[in-house]
Amino acid sequence: MTEIPENTMINTTEAGLAVAPPPVEQPSATLPERPLMELLNVSKTFTVRSGGKRLTLSAVDGVSLRVREGKTLGIVGESGCGKSTLARVITGLHSATSGEMIFDRAQIPASGKRPKEVIQQMQMVFQDPSSALNPRATVGESIAFPLRVQGMSRKDVDARVTKVISDVGLPASYSGSYPHQLSGGQRQRVNIARALALQPRMVVLDEAVSALDKSIQAQVLNLLTDLQRDYNLTYVFISHDLNVVEYISDEVVVLYLGQVVEHAPAKELWENPQHPYTKLLLSSIPSMDPDDSTRDQPLDKDSSEIPSAINPPSGCRFRTRCPMAMDICAQQAPPPIETSDGHLVACHLYTEGSQAAA
Amino acid sequence: MTETFVPPLLPKSFGGGVDPVSRAAAERRKEEWNAAVESVKAQSFWIETGKRFLRNRTGVVAAAIVVALALSAIFAPLISPYDPLIGQPVDRLKDIGTPGHILGTDEQGRDMLSRILFGGRLSLLAGFVPTVAAAVIGTLIGVIAGMVRGVVGTVLMRFMDMLYAFPAILLAIAVGSALGPGLTNTIIAVTIVYIPPVARVAQSSTRRVVVQEFIEAARLSGASRARIAWSQILPNVLNDIIVYASGLVGVAMIIAASLSFLGLGSAPPAPEWGYMLNSLRGELFTTPLVTIVPGFFIFLTSVAFNLASDALREAMDSRL
Repeated sequence: MTEIPENTMINTTEAGLAVAPPPVEQPSATLPERPLMELLNVSKTFTVRSGGKRLTLSAVDGVSLRVREGKTLGIVGESGCGKSTLARVITGLHSATSGEMIFDRAQIPASGKRPKEVIQQMQMVFQDPSSALNPRATVGESIAFPLRVQGMSRKDVDARVTKVISDVGLPASYSGSYPHQLSGGQRQRVNIARALALQPRMVVLDEAVSALDKSIQAQVLNLLTDLQRDYNLTYVFISHDLNVVEYISDEVVVLYLGQVVEHAPAKELWENPQHPYTKLLLSSIPSMDPDDSTRDQPLDKDSSEIPSAINPPSGCRFRTRCPMAMDICAQQAPPPIETSDGHLVACHLYTEGSQAAA
Repeated sequence: MTETFVPPLLPKSFGGGVDPVSRAAAERRKEEWNAAVESVKAQSFWIETGKRFLRNRTGVVAAAIVVALALSAIFAPLISPYDPLIGQPVDRLKDIGTPGHILGTDEQGRDMLSRILFGGRLSLLAGFVPTVAAAVIGTLIGVIAGMVRGVVGTVLMRFMDMLYAFPAILLAIAVGSALGPGLTNTIIAVTIVYIPPVARVAQSSTRRVVVQEFIEAARLSGASRARIAWSQILPNVLNDIIVYASGLVGVAMIIAASLSFLGLGSAPPAPEWGYMLNSLRGELFTTPLVTIVPGFFIFLTSVAFNLASDALREAMDSRL
C-alpha cells in the first residue's frame, strides 16, 4: 500500500493551521461551562438468539453523564464494556431502550428520526479508517455527502469541502483521490473532515486513533486539539488507550460492563482513582521507566474473565473481579457518590458511611 | 502489482550539497521529483479497471469478437448479401465455400450468411435483454433484501431460492410453454430464470457493504434509506453484478436457442440461430458443415462473452 509519510504533509499541526484565527482568548473560556449534552439513566439492550432462546444483552445500563461544552469527555473501559454502543446511542445510530438524552437543553426524541439541527450539530468519527470511507467515492464526494443530504447548494458544498480538507491538514488536491490511494492517517483526517463538514458543535470520536501507529496518533491527536480550540468543539472521546485518553480529556468516564463506575476530571482520576476497577485499569498501563517493571496486580489475580453482559452479576457488576468485594456488593448496586468536587464513584466502599448513617 | 505508487513529496530541506553546483543539481532533481509526484492524478475505478482489462490479451480478443458480432448484427441489413427470408429452391443445400454463398444455403435455398447475420440480431437480443432486465430487477430485489433484515428480506430471498431450485433450462421451458412461443416470451422466460441468481449475488454483496462504517456515517448525516442504497451501496455492489451478469449473456443465448430449437422461441421463418440449428438438423448428412454453422456461432458468442467476463472479473478484482 502506498504510504505517504505524515510528516511530509503540508499544514501539519506543528506548523499550525493556515486558516486558524489568531489565538485570541475564546469566548467559551470566560463563559461558565454548561453541559452541552446530558444522558440520564440511558440504557440499551439487544436481543440475541442463542440456541433458539432469546436472551437480553444489556450493553449500556443506566448511564448518566454530562458533556461540557467545549471540553472533552473521555470514555474508557475494556473491550466489550459498551463504549461503542454508547457512542452509537449518543449519536442516534442506535435508539436508546430507555432513559433521556438532552442536547443543548432540548430533549432528543428517544427513537425515530432526529431533528435536522441535532443531526447537524452532532457528528461522529469512526474507528476503522478503511471501512469508514466509501471505496467508490472520492475524498471530496465523501465529505460532500452529508452536506448534500442536508440540502446545501453545490457552490457552498464545494467551498465547504475545500475548507475542511485544508482544516484537517491535507492538500486541496486530495479531494479527487480515492481512499485506497491514501495512508491510514490521511484517511482518518478525511474521516475527521467529513465529521466537521456540517460544522457540528459536538463530535463523538469512537476509537478514532486506535487503528493508527503511535507517531501518527500523536499527529491526529494534535490536529483534534487544534480543531477543538479553533472551533470550540465538544468531544466525546472513546478509547481503550488510557494514555491517549489522559492526554486529550478534560473529564473521564470509566465504563464497566455498560455501567459508569467512575466519573471525574482527568487529572483527578489519574492522581486519585477511587473505584477498584479504575485502579486496576490505571495500574495496567505499562511503565515508561525500563527499570520499573509492571508490578503484578493483586486486583486481577484470580479472575480476569469478564462476566457476560447477557447475565451480569447481581448488585455491583464488578464484584466478581473485585479484591475488596463485600457482602453488600452482591445484594445492591452501588449508587454514584460524589467523593470530592466533580468526582463521582459508584462503589460500596464509599457508600458504607452513608449506609450506616441511614 | 496494480497498486499505484504515490511517492512522497520531498521536503524543502532536501538537497543539501557540498558546493553550489551539486546543490543546484539536487534542487533540480527535487523539483522534477515533486512535479512527477504531483502529476500522479487520482484515477477513477473505471479507468484503472479499463487499463487492467486492456493488458489481458484473451479478454481483449474476446471483447473484440463480441463487438464484431454486435456490429454485424446491428448492420445486418447493410452488409448481408441476400434477403434472409427468400430462398432460391434451385440453390438449396449448397455447401460451404460455394461462390456467392460463402456459408452455403439452407434447405430452402436461403443464403446462410445473411441468415446468420440477421439471426444474430435475434440471438444477441435474446442474450442481452434478459440479462440486463434480470440484472436490474435482481439487483433491486437483492439490495432491498440485503438492507432490510427480518421478515421482508427473508421472504424475498426464500422466494428467490424457490425459483433457484429449478434447473434453469427446465424453468425456462416451463415459463416459455406457459407463455407460448415467440421471442418476447423467450426473453421473459430467460429473465425470470436469471432474477434469482442475480438477486443472490446482489444480496450477499449488499450485506458485505452495509456493515461497513461508511454506511453508518451516511445514516448519521440523516440520509434516507433509498438515498443510502443509491449513492453508497449501489456503487459498491455494481461491479460484482456486472461481472456476474456478463457471464450470463452466453448462457442466455444458449437457453434462448434451446427454446427455439424446441419450438418455443421465435417463430419461423424468422432466422434465429437455435431455430436454424433445429430446421437444418435433417440435412446433417447432406451438408454437415452448413448444418453446424449456427451452432458454431452460438458457441463462439457464448465463449467470447464468458472469456470477456472472466477478464473483466480479473480487472475489477484487484481493487485496493
